Amino acid sequence: MSAVTLEGVSKRFGAVHAVDALSLEVPRGSIYGFIGPNGSGKTTTLRMILHILLADAGRIEVLGETGTRAANDRIGYLPEERGLYRKMTVQRVLTYYAGLKGVRARDARKESARWLERLNLGDWANKKVETLSKGMSQKVQFIATIVARPELVILDEPFSGLDPVNLEVLREVILELRDNGATVIFSTHDMSKAEELCDFIFMIFKGRKVLDGTLDSIQAQYGADTLRVRVEGGHKLLEGLDGVGSVRDFGRYQELRFAGDPQELLRTLVAKTRVERFELTRPSLHDIFQRIAGPEAEDVA
Amino acid sequence: MWRKAWRVAGAEFSNLVRTKAFIISIVLMPVLMGGAIGLQILLEERVDTKVRRFAVIDKSGAFAAVIEQAAAARKENPPFAPERSDSDVAALSSRVRDGDLFAYLVIGEDALETGQGVTYHSDSPTYMDLSRWLGGVMTHRIQEHARESLGISVEDRRKLNVRARVQAYGLTTVTETGEVKAAEKIDKIATFVIPVAAMWLLFMLVMMAAPMQLNIVLEEKMQRISEVLVSSVSAFELFLGKLLGTVFASWLLSVLYIGGLSVVAQRFGYLDKIPVSLFVLFLPFQLMALLIFGSIFSAIGAACSEIRDAQSLMMPAMLIVMLPMFVWMQVVKEPNSTFSTVVSLIPPATPFLMMLRVGVPPGPPLWELVLGVVGATAFTLFCVWAAGKVFRIGVLSQGQTPSIRKLIGWVFSK
Repeated sequence: MSAVTLEGVSKRFGAVHAVDALSLEVPRGSIYGFIGPNGSGKTTTLRMILHILLADAGRIEVLGETGTRAANDRIGYLPEERGLYRKMTVQRVLTYYAGLKGVRARDARKESARWLERLNLGDWANKKVETLSKGMSQKVQFIATIVARPELVILDEPFSGLDPVNLEVLREVILELRDNGATVIFSTHDMSKAEELCDFIFMIFKGRKVLDGTLDSIQAQYGADTLRVRVEGGHKLLEGLDGVGSVRDFGRYQELRFAGDPQELLRTLVAKTRVERFELTRPSLHDIFQRIAGPEAEDVA
Repeated sequence: MWRKAWRVAGAEFSNLVRTKAFIISIVLMPVLMGGAIGLQILLEERVDTKVRRFAVIDKSGAFAAVIEQAAAARKENPPFAPERSDSDVAALSSRVRDGDLFAYLVIGEDALETGQGVTYHSDSPTYMDLSRWLGGVMTHRIQEHARESLGISVEDRRKLNVRARVQAYGLTTVTETGEVKAAEKIDKIATFVIPVAAMWLLFMLVMMAAPMQLNIVLEEKMQRISEVLVSSVSAFELFLGKLLGTVFASWLLSVLYIGGLSVVAQRFGYLDKIPVSLFVLFLPFQLMALLIFGSIFSAIGAACSEIRDAQSLMMPAMLIVMLPMFVWMQVVKEPNSTFSTVVSLIPPATPFLMMLRVGVPPGPPLWELVLGVVGATAFTLFCVWAAGKVFRIGVLSQGQTPSIRKLIGWVFSK
């Protein structure tokens, strides 16, 4: 059963086709990653799922409700640009946001206190938001998203600006939400996070769907033409070899696309230098992303 | 829809009444009133006692002595001290500039016959008391001279100077039992001060709350709070909730102000002179004005992304708000003239001007009041609807501020 279903959904802003005949299904209880370059239609799609924007065409079903905001109280939304009342105390903000979802003040206070403790913000409950650091504010915003125990959690760039410790805490919480039955949609520019967390990945480019499926199935689509190699002499030695396409230098190894027999390439390399690593692999999500988005992906990378 | 709008309204109300501006507003009224009374008492006690020394060049020879006598007999402050002078005007001007003299007076040769050729020179053009006093003293001297030359006795002169004094009264009324009630003398406080004060109080309360909506909405938009909110409530619920929260906060101020003013009015015996209809209509008119202007300012706040842009869009809205202020003098002078009737039926001005007309006895005809309320209600609903449409689109839009033409397009978009 799907938490979200989009069928032929389109949205225009004047002459710009922000989303074009988009169809997708987000299975319940999954973590579903939205990736795509800036301006590709990710946020517009998320806003249409929330009925903040109305689609020009197509059908949108969210948690069993079609074409209405009826399910919105069961959705938690963390927008890319965070928004908290700076003059309110943390507790008041959380209680207010939960109240807008129909949660009673007493329950909201209890739930927010639990999450504040969990995210190491227990001492800050009665402090004003303006006194929090950026990372703390982000965690408070995250709590505001989940304090009403939503069935569907939509996170737009949840990890941006977080230090590694908090990033790990948030990652754990997202997995915990999924394990407790919530569906999580998250939009990200961080391909490694998408690979790490998502059960399904969806890529939108220029308003159209270009990828949709599990990481395995997507990588399978793009074949096994990727090699990870570490050789003495580095990436300069690899460039220009027969059959070698793009070479990406990751420092400790190079990732290259190769058309031909890998055994031939290995023989060539061994004849030229010392080979420390030679691995046939599938393309990374980042690589796939770059193949589709081309130069526009540079903005994101 | 209403459940969430009420929740937003509750939060908005709670935020507003916690602001420093609101607390200052509550304190402001008594402080202003107390301050004004206190200042008057202070001014009464600290009268200006600095002597106003002035020179008199009397070419007619008929006035200097009279002016000296009158100045000596004058008991009010500040004292006036004349000195006769033959100096040239340049020297006297120099003494005025140096502060040695306050002014000098030049009286022409035939001033006693014609009253002409009298000039007063000072470096304090706004201080009129001395020149006015001199005019009075000299006029009396000229009249005395005329009486003597015409051979009119002092008693006859007094008779010639008798003036008719017209006192303003209301109308005589006949009770149900046929008893004729004498007309009452018109009380300036009841017929002018109270209605004008009611209108200004309403205006002040609206101006304190409505433009603030612009800042609140714009701030929430700039801080991206709006996007979080509209994921939980619809843009219209958010808009409506904000308006209602503002109305409740403003009503709270009204109740406090009206209560306080009523106590003051009771103390000075004026409470029964305030028409009941003023009390009855104040809050509904305040509601209409707040919804009209609050929705317009909210829509401007939602449509803009920067304070500078909002301020330029605010200008036409402020002109509409100020309309009653341009015409209220005319309306209070002739509250039931065609002009007053027409201008008070223009919806954005109705709450203020109808309030003014209601306060001035006998008040407008009932049909005009009903028409005004119906018109203003319809306009209020239109403003809330139109501004709600602009708010819905504007609150999520970023970048360039739309033109007025585009805003109108938003109103009629699907």
